[in-house]
Amino acid sequence: MTLIHMNVLMAFSMSLVGLLMYRSHLMSALLCLEGMMLSLFVLAALTILNSHFTLANMMPIILLVFAAYVAAIGLALLVMVSNTYGTDYVQSLNLLQC
Amino acid sequence: MNPSIFIILLTTLILGTMMVITSSHWLLAWIGFEMNMMAFIPIMMKNPSPRATEASTKYLLTQATASALLMMAVIINLMYSGQWTITKLFNPTASTLMTVALAIKLGLAPFHFWVPEVTQGIPLTTGLILLTWQKLAPLSILYQISPSINLYLMLTMSLLSILVGGWGGLNQTQLRKIMAYSSIAHMGWMTTILPYNPTLTLLNLLIYITMTFTMFMLFIQNSTTTTLSLSQTWNKTPIITTLTMLTLLSMGGLPPLSGFMPKWMIIQELTKNDILIMPTFMAITALLNLYFYMRLTYSTALTLFPSTNNMKMKWQFSPTKRAPLLPTAIVISTMLLPLTPMLSILL
Repeated sequence: MTLIHMNVLMAFSMSLVGLLMYRSHLMSALLCLEGMMLSLFVLAALTILNSHFTLANMMPIILLVFAAYVAAIGLALLVMVSNTYGTDYVQSLNLLQC
Repeated sequence: MNPSIFIILLTTLILGTMMVITSSHWLLAWIGFEMNMMAFIPIMMKNPSPRATEASTKYLLTQATASALLMMAVIINLMYSGQWTITKLFNPTASTLMTVALAIKLGLAPFHFWVPEVTQGIPLTTGLILLTWQKLAPLSILYQISPSINLYLMLTMSLLSILVGGWGGLNQTQLRKIMAYSSIAHMGWMTTILPYNPTLTLLNLLIYITMTFTMFMLFIQNSTTTTLSLSQTWNKTPIITTLTMLTLLSMGGLPPLSGFMPKWMIIQELTKNDILIMPTFMAITALLNLYFYMRLTYSTALTLFPSTNNMKMKWQFSPTKRAPLLPTAIVISTMLLPLTPMLSILL
């Protein structure tokens, strides 16, 4: 595995860890989600260009479309949370615990 | 919600799952998962409330993480095999990542924490869709990649699920959380047999969907979400009380009801592979599940739950709430055991 693959995989792992361990804001979770999608885009483009798999050239762009889709819904839910509580602190999402 | 928007959302939901089940290209399967998740979130927010918002947020975060992990597994598979066909995976890392991603989507332990909270925050009908329809897509992908799944990872997750589903449901009085823990335990049973005989996974899924559908329809008919209100159904529609008891016992896996069929076949298949400790452990842990079903049965059908005197004398109106397919579902979820030899149609 070449150095650049290692680099992009590290970017994905860092974003994943950031998504799993965010401190107080819901926004940072959404940002890390976008970071993961971005690193997937770069990795996919890298692999496809490297193997001259021209037929799959569209795939990273389609991935980006659906990543934007996810981000839009995430932001809509963030706005609804913010409407109820005033902030996006995740400590306030505790209504449903046992 | 505007009916035309609701129809579009339901259509997208169905279309997304169909795309996952029928596609042979990993990108289309991933797109199907995204469509499924995105169409389901507005359905969860049908009646906006802080609980529904919280449930939708938790659902979005977990499912989006799982989708990203799934895509990473697909790209690693592309790096090592150069093709996008949905067959077995060609790299152990990709296989582990994809199994973990699908476990997050299904709600297998140790990724089960979102299931009770999300099920609790949404209306009963939406909870029904969450626990039945949303399981079809991940299980279809697991079925297709089953030759390359890491055995120890899968068995660990499924045994942990059966344990968590049993113990987690013990302290609950909210019916939606009980159904969520029941779902976690049944997913555990389904994924135990996946590396050995995936046909039985499909059989268990079919029987589980029928029984969960029946339970939710019974709850919707009585508009109950707690044990307390379920225990008052003897006064509204007495026959429903008996049928609730039968369905709950079927979910617990007691013969001669049809819930016994998947457990029996799974244990038989595991013993054919010379594994004896694991099915013993699974069968004993299923008793935990049976305990909280029995507790519901006890308070609903077998005893008069303590209530005030005016609750005991309700006027029995003829029901106006439509519970579609309830009699059919009850018959299928309790009387299917003699038809066990027919399961060869699932092959």
